[in-house]
Amino acid sequence: MTDPKGPAGPIRSEMSSDADMLEIIQMFVDEMPERVAALEDAWRVHDTEALTRVAHQLKGASPGYGYSSVGDAAAILERSLKSADQDLSSVQAQFDHLIDLCSRVVV
Amino acid sequence: MPHTKEQQKPILLLIDDSPSIHRLLAFKLKNEGLEFLAAFDSTEGVELAQSHQPSLILLDLNMPVVDGFQTMRALKECSQTISIPVIVLSGTTSPEDKVRAFELGAMDFVCKPFDIHELRARINSAIRISRLMKMLEMRAQVDGLTGLWNRAYFNERLASELAEASRNNKHLALVLCDLDHFKKLNDTFGHPAGDAVLQGFAEVLTTELRAYDIPCRYGGEEFVIILPDTDRDEARQVAERIRAALEAKGWPKFPDIHATASFGLTTAGLAGKDDPASWIQAADQMLYQAKHAGRNRVEVFSGPPSDGKAHLALAS
Ligand SMILES: [Mg+2]
Repeated sequence: MTDPKGPAGPIRSEMSSDADMLEIIQMFVDEMPERVAALEDAWRVHDTEALTRVAHQLKGASPGYGYSSVGDAAAILERSLKSADQDLSSVQAQFDHLIDLCSRVVV
Repeated sequence: MPHTKEQQKPILLLIDDSPSIHRLLAFKLKNEGLEFLAAFDSTEGVELAQSHQPSLILLDLNMPVVDGFQTMRALKECSQTISIPVIVLSGTTSPEDKVRAFELGAMDFVCKPFDIHELRARINSAIRISRLMKMLEMRAQVDGLTGLWNRAYFNERLASELAEASRNNKHLALVLCDLDHFKKLNDTFGHPAGDAVLQGFAEVLTTELRAYDIPCRYGGEEFVIILPDTDRDEARQVAERIRAALEAKGWPKFPDIHATASFGLTTAGLAGKDDPASWIQAADQMLYQAKHAGRNRVEVFSGPPSDGKAHLALAS
């Protein structure tokens, strides 16, 4: 497991030993910059709905590709957003943490 | 014809807005012998469900524009998709959402992220249950001895075919048939011979009829055939073909049997009425005439002109 406070090393898929699966894991990883950009754009314009949508999808899909820490962080952000109303500053830490994890994902 | 379709690959329709989920499931379930259909939104999903009749639908709740609940409602409101089992696949884990999904007609609910082994087991279980349900439904509509549709099915089907014909201004024909001297045949050769003749006649019907015709056992030694999109002359030819085929049929186990049947044909209801009962009365009257005219023949109701459509009233 990756320690969020630890050095920002790469996060590898827990399923990378499945050679057949590498291709779709690679696609999932290749799409990460897009998701990070979507999260950051939504954050910039305070679009809680868009933030929730991306977090929700990450929560649902990441564990299946072997990135359970990303899934957990996304679930925490999604949940925090529900009680955050319009004040995004209260979820800054959860947001940063998810962005950090997403940026470090590799096959 | 009410014969069970040969086993084909079950089709699994996944309705989910996330391409990652599509790829993951296609990969994880690739050895399950399923054919995959992918829809990325509700509209596409409902359309594919209608056109491809999947064995099972996996439905995401959380989708932009039209969500899973609305999709579910659309699927359950449509007669073509109402009986397709749906497993809701969702990242929403609240009990309220689960209850609501079940109330709308979901067969099962699986939370995302899902354990693939559990999902696989639930998919297979849902497909198994829906096969059994279909089989039960089929059994309730099929005559055990002949394998033809039974009377309950016929009643329903005649009503819907009449409505369809009148809606689309199409022809429709109804043929009532009765095996000749069946009681005597039973008394002379025994009940096994009687059953063999009933089954043999069903075989003749299955062989001589077209794929879209609807042969039913009406009861006892009476049969009834719905011929959609068929005018009077065509119907007469079909009935005549059946009559001749039965007359020519040999009975290897009972070489002394010579089975024939009488046929009453109509392309309109009695007295110009368009309800199922009037149609059956008209066919029955013709059958009665065929019997009285010496049996082993086809009598045709001369109600409407031969080019008359199903809903036309009786000509003078
Ligand atoms: Mg979704």
